[in-house]
Amino acid sequence: MPRKKNKVNPVSFQDTILNLQKFWGNYGCVILQPYDMEVGAGTFHPATTLRSLGPKPWKAAYVQPSRRPTDGRYGKNPNRLQHYYQFQVIIKPSPENIKKIFLKSLSTVGINHQENDIRFVEDDWESPTLGAAGRGWEVWCNGMEITQFTYFQQMASIECKPVSVELTYGLERLCMFTQGKSNIFDLIWNNNGVKYKDIFYQAEKEYSAYNFEFANTESLIKNFNIAEKECKSLLEKNLSLPAYDQCLKASHIFNLLDARGIIGVAERTKFISRIRELTKGVGKNWIESQK
Amino acid sequence: MAELFLELLSEEIPARLQIDAREKIKLSIEGELRKKEINFQSSKAFSTPKRLVLIIDGMPTKIEQKKKIIKGPKVDAPKAALDGFIKSNNLKKSNVYKKKIEKGEFYFSETSSETIDVLEQLQTIVPRVIQNYSWKKSMKWSSNELSWARPLKSILSLFNNKVINFNFFHLKSENLTFIDGPKDEIVKKVSSFKSYLRLIKSQNIILNQEERKEIIIKKMENICVTKDFEKKFSPKLIEEVVNLVEKPHVIICKFDEIYLKIPQEILIVNMQQHQKYFPLFDNNHKLTNSFLLVANLADKKGYIKIGNQRVIEARFSDAQFFWEKNKTQNLVKQVSKLKNLVFFNELGNFYDRTQRLRKLASIISGQMNLSKEKIEIAASVCKADLISDLVGEYPELQGVMGKYFAKEQGFDDDVALAISDHYLPVGANSPVAKKPISLAVAIIDKIDLLVGFFGIDQKPTSSKDPFALRRTAIGLLRTITENKIKIDLKELINYSIITYEEQNIKFTNKIIFKEVLLFLKERFKNILKDKKIQIDIIDAVITSHRSDDFLVLNEKCQIVHKNINKDVCKDIINSYKRVSNILGEEKANKDEDDFMSPESLLFKKEEEKNLFDKINEIRKYFSSTRNNEKYDLTLKMLAGAKPVADSFFDNVIVNDENLDIKKNRIALLKMFCKTYNNFIDFSKVEGG
Repeated sequence: MPRKKNKVNPVSFQDTILNLQKFWGNYGCVILQPYDMEVGAGTFHPATTLRSLGPKPWKAAYVQPSRRPTDGRYGKNPNRLQHYYQFQVIIKPSPENIKKIFLKSLSTVGINHQENDIRFVEDDWESPTLGAAGRGWEVWCNGMEITQFTYFQQMASIECKPVSVELTYGLERLCMFTQGKSNIFDLIWNNNGVKYKDIFYQAEKEYSAYNFEFANTESLIKNFNIAEKECKSLLEKNLSLPAYDQCLKASHIFNLLDARGIIGVAERTKFISRIRELTKGVGKNWIESQK
Repeated sequence: MAELFLELLSEEIPARLQIDAREKIKLSIEGELRKKEINFQSSKAFSTPKRLVLIIDGMPTKIEQKKKIIKGPKVDAPKAALDGFIKSNNLKKSNVYKKKIEKGEFYFSETSSETIDVLEQLQTIVPRVIQNYSWKKSMKWSSNELSWARPLKSILSLFNNKVINFNFFHLKSENLTFIDGPKDEIVKKVSSFKSYLRLIKSQNIILNQEERKEIIIKKMENICVTKDFEKKFSPKLIEEVVNLVEKPHVIICKFDEIYLKIPQEILIVNMQQHQKYFPLFDNNHKLTNSFLLVANLADKKGYIKIGNQRVIEARFSDAQFFWEKNKTQNLVKQVSKLKNLVFFNELGNFYDRTQRLRKLASIISGQMNLSKEKIEIAASVCKADLISDLVGEYPELQGVMGKYFAKEQGFDDDVALAISDHYLPVGANSPVAKKPISLAVAIIDKIDLLVGFFGIDQKPTSSKDPFALRRTAIGLLRTITENKIKIDLKELINYSIITYEEQNIKFTNKIIFKEVLLFLKERFKNILKDKKIQIDIIDAVITSHRSDDFLVLNEKCQIVHKNINKDVCKDIINSYKRVSNILGEEKANKDEDDFMSPESLLFKKEEEKNLFDKINEIRKYFSSTRNNEKYDLTLKMLAGAKPVADSFFDNVIVNDENLDIKKNRIALLKMFCKTYNNFIDFSKVEGG
């Protein structure tokens, strides 16, 4: 919240990331780097999707740049971007006191839960392409959603046992709150005067044009088919990780096609089920490889 | 006297799950206690998002079970039955004896009197009840096997201030609870409900949901009184909010007035559905730029207010962006974009759908004598808002947004209204479309849906109705009957089938008209049954009437229903039954069913002639009033034949020796029934 009275600079975007990394690093999480492919959310990083499967314990945290082509607004909307950052924490099995730990993590980025109204609002998460489902909440801070808090029940169409907990902080939302901004582009990136707009405004404009107007749909469809074929052939060779990369590719291509508005409702369902079949295969294959 | 006190502490459980759990678990424990004959004075269930609490008061700690005689299995039953009887009732074999009663020979035994320790009983009752409760939605967490709505953290379970010991999956019942400390959670020992309440109170938590509700409403009303707002809040939202907080604090907030230019439905949806705020209206019911927020803690530094205001303004500015963009997008031009919106795989897209509606519009405008042009325009643009950003964002505002766009773009008011109102009724308590253009589009929209899904054999089954066709049919019937609209459904349905054919949509069903009409009649029966109209009357009306005019069916049902116990109906049914009884006997004697007109030359008695004249009078009445029949007059007309019919029966014997005369008399009676059946099939009506 705005800290007019004690005049401390609000935590910058990059310091928010550093604070969260430090906090979760101290907790015992492996601090990973973003996955090097286009994905729609931190959940798609194999450190979450694949590692949440099977019996082995796992703790990790990382930033994931996320792309949602349909959310592009040519940089004109103060709240929506086609490219943004998530801070992702995944812990298996879910610790008993995870809610408390989460609240503590908020205080490291400047949100005190005794002064702000933190609410856990029902939100059962589902990802049809990942064949994933979970139970949990959107975490609200004074009415703004800042985190998605989910207990995975199913991933890659496989039941999660033990259950992982996933915390997904929306970094822009979080910082808009802590920095008291109502426009994403006004966010303070560092303490040397660099703003979010300086880094991303042009990208939002150009990618919105690409996503909505100029992405070549014919070649996208071709590429989708290639990725699907490649994934299947890699699965035959039991190479679950490279096969998973092909799922991610297919998934992002689908999102682009969606943004181009050329997918009807019926086709949509077909595309989604094709991707889900792929992730299902990868999930099975990966679990086998862990034995 | 002792108390049973149970606290199930968990992470935040969604409101509706919480309400269901607190009610059902309470009922289930009460049931178990009654089964065991353990008395109690009162039982209450409370909940906050994290705490589910049950308190049962005035229980005995021990109960004396008196001697009683209990009946066992039959003596010739398998031995296992006897063993089971002995085991489950804790009997001694030597106390079991045989005795003959009416139904055969059975084993009996007298149970010994014993003292039952209630605490011991509760050790099996409590875990069984919580295990048997099934959540509407549940989950697993960590490595545990237990399924609960959200992770269950602890079970506090006391009877008479002692722990009721039991294991529940990975948890063990205790006398402990947790409260929030400044940093970490603090474990607290609890000895009784009273001490628990003190502890909870010290945390400013209001455990009792009714108390929370009162506090919230009172605070909100106070604010409204002092600031001159209307004291009106959505009861549904109050119920939800009450169960989202444990320390309710009402805060009044504001947003920038400029957003009041956005259609208020958008503002209200954002505040109510999305943010759980209470929008405030002035005393002229006008939406203001103030709203109430129920926070879960006191806003010591004012952060909560500022934060929420910023959130709602961000949402409004998003909505405003879309509103400005969408309202200028010409609705007529948008229609062609509906080609990208699939309605249903085999039934084409929404563009196809509006084209069909447009064609039906011209038919119904003729039937209802309305402006063809207006209905056609309304039908073509009524779905155009579906591809707008705003409906994408707020699907619940379909139609409403279209109405606003149409008004902005200078469409006629009744055309604009039809865009929102053709979806009516949206539920059992929702009003139907009232204005002529609206209800015309509402009717053809529903016919198109019914015909389409029946055409591809996607009909509702007894358990499933994925396309809500029942609701659609009821909506159609209500729109017709409540507005008293004369339309030709047959023509509309048949033309609707043609509009699909013209689009080369392949129908597998070859008897759509018949099936849709039958489906409508079934729904219609249900509507009338709900209005407490006797089933035999409904049957009588529906089977007699071959047409598809539900307005007529409805009115006939209503008038017969109103008069069924009055003389006018009694007279009709009485005469009718006398006639049909004789015909029934004759029919049983001879298999003769062909209808011939009675021949007046063959009448031997005055009474025959009189009856014949009376019937003809009635027939004349029916043919002269074909289109403006007044049903109360009809009833009077039919009842008026009673003296003539009575005197016929008193003086004429149908079963005459002369076969021709007899046949002629039977023909006369058949004519009587047939004439009466013009109104309704009186043979179906009971009593008289």
